[in-house]
Amino acid sequence: MGETFAEKLLARKAGLAGVVPGQIVVVQPDKLLTHDNTAAISKKFYQIGVERVANPRINVIVLDHVTPAADEKYATNHQVIRQFAAEQGIEAFYDVGEGICHQVLPEKGHAWPGALIVGSDSHTPTHGAFGAFAAGIGRTEAAAVMATGNIWLRVPHSFRIVIRGAMPPRVTPKDLALHIIGDLRADGADYRSVEFAGETVRDMSVAGRMVLTNMVAEMGGKNGVIEPDDKTRAWLQGRVTHEYEEIHADPDASYERVIEYNVSGLAPQVAKPHTVDNVVPVTETAGIPIDQALIGTCTNGRVEDLAAAAEILRGRHIAPGVRLLVLPASREVLLQAVEQGLVSDLVAAGATLLNPGCGPCLGAHQGCMAPGETTISTANRNFKGRMGAKEAFIYLASPATVAASALTGAITDPREV
Amino acid sequence: MKETTVKGRLWILTNPAGKLYDDIDTDMIFHNRYLHITDVAEMGQYALDNLVGWKNFARKAQAGDVIMAGPNFGSGSSRQQAVDCFRALGINAVIAESFGAIYKRNAINSGLPIVTMPGLSKIAGEFATGDELAVDFATGEVVLNGEKRFQAEPFSGVQMDIYQAGDLFAYGESLGA
Repeated sequence: MGETFAEKLLARKAGLAGVVPGQIVVVQPDKLLTHDNTAAISKKFYQIGVERVANPRINVIVLDHVTPAADEKYATNHQVIRQFAAEQGIEAFYDVGEGICHQVLPEKGHAWPGALIVGSDSHTPTHGAFGAFAAGIGRTEAAAVMATGNIWLRVPHSFRIVIRGAMPPRVTPKDLALHIIGDLRADGADYRSVEFAGETVRDMSVAGRMVLTNMVAEMGGKNGVIEPDDKTRAWLQGRVTHEYEEIHADPDASYERVIEYNVSGLAPQVAKPHTVDNVVPVTETAGIPIDQALIGTCTNGRVEDLAAAAEILRGRHIAPGVRLLVLPASREVLLQAVEQGLVSDLVAAGATLLNPGCGPCLGAHQGCMAPGETTISTANRNFKGRMGAKEAFIYLASPATVAASALTGAITDPREV
Repeated sequence: MKETTVKGRLWILTNPAGKLYDDIDTDMIFHNRYLHITDVAEMGQYALDNLVGWKNFARKAQAGDVIMAGPNFGSGSSRQQAVDCFRALGINAVIAESFGAIYKRNAINSGLPIVTMPGLSKIAGEFATGDELAVDFATGEVVLNGEKRFQAEPFSGVQMDIYQAGDLFAYGESLGA
């Protein structure tokens, strides 16, 4: 019997001939990602009673959640983190302005095929787009990984999601991700390793693949993964300078479920308040008035996302009374967007450009909502109260749908603008 | 050895329709407006204050209480505050039909006893807030008001080892790591 991606990778990392789902293995992560929560994690780390991190080369710290600091408390946490990184000799420390951890980590060469990455953020599965096993963990565990270099993991069961067909115009990987989550529900892939395959995934850009693996968190998955190919290798060239061994699932691997989708008839999708699995075609929400539109986050803040929005908004202007917030996912994305003229297009159309980071996605700053307001966002979560007031409404959609909605002032099918 | 059976007053988390609450995410358990807090003792006062109908939970809860909820409890963000706020309140156990994947690990690693009870939604009507519930982590047996018996999943091996040690750090020390 062949091995799934998760089985093969975890067996190799654990030094075992083979593993079975449910088995507990102790492994050494190649990278440990932490963000603004490094302040709390470092506190826990010192509680353990060790003075030095086990291996500073595995640590990647990115300040992104509330950057620049919104008040003294956040500023103090950032200060603690800067001191911690310096004291511990952690070189991969990225300060305010570099971008969102899930964009910065791969850009700086910390993700590669066959890597084992754990991160104290639930969207860590994003890095599976590069053929890594990447999973979210908590603070206690992150502190323990810092101290020991080890972590226990339960080998997950695996799903294989096979996607076929060509994406129709203005239908994007985000629409596909929302459609799958609506189908499987918020706990449909609970603790499963989700492998995405099929011609549609092969045809997708690396940025598009990152949308799929990012959203695995919203179906409850342990990790999501996409088999590395020439596109992956080309993207990583110049970023990852060491050798790596790719890990591919065996063709005769055993899956708990194999699920097939065909995207050729897929319409743009929208997740309605207040859960990510409350998904309908955009046509069912068309006409709902919006106050704010957000393009960015670790789900959809990449160049192709900004380009999709600019393509709709270029030479036009957003509706009166609508606030359009644009946050590039990283400094690199921002620079490319500037070079390609996308920033000018969007700002001229009425967008407010925010610095690379998580911005208002988690409701801490830079665009929180007042009671009764509605935001359409390219983010991955629409939980009640996530972006400020509890009595506010968040709709999730693709960059094209968000741009089209900002243009008209109400939720709009991007195929009609 | 710590006791593997705990007893406590039950809180059954119900939604506005009076049904067992499904998909309680970490933003409902510990809202993002408190993310700057790093001291666990300060986290208890905010537990569940963003869950519709449960704003005052932290003021009413007492150390030793037991919580019950529907499927996918703790879905969403990886924030451990959503576990630590219950530890700060001294909650004895959280029983749910299922847990979010990261939440489950966070709870196990920080020594908060969580018990998975498949099919709980179907029998939720048997339980009421204020009931006395005894939970045996080793066998998974749940006893309501000293009489009625129900079956949940027992702790896994690693969960029991970490629970007995206190938390992941203490467990690591016990291994001589």
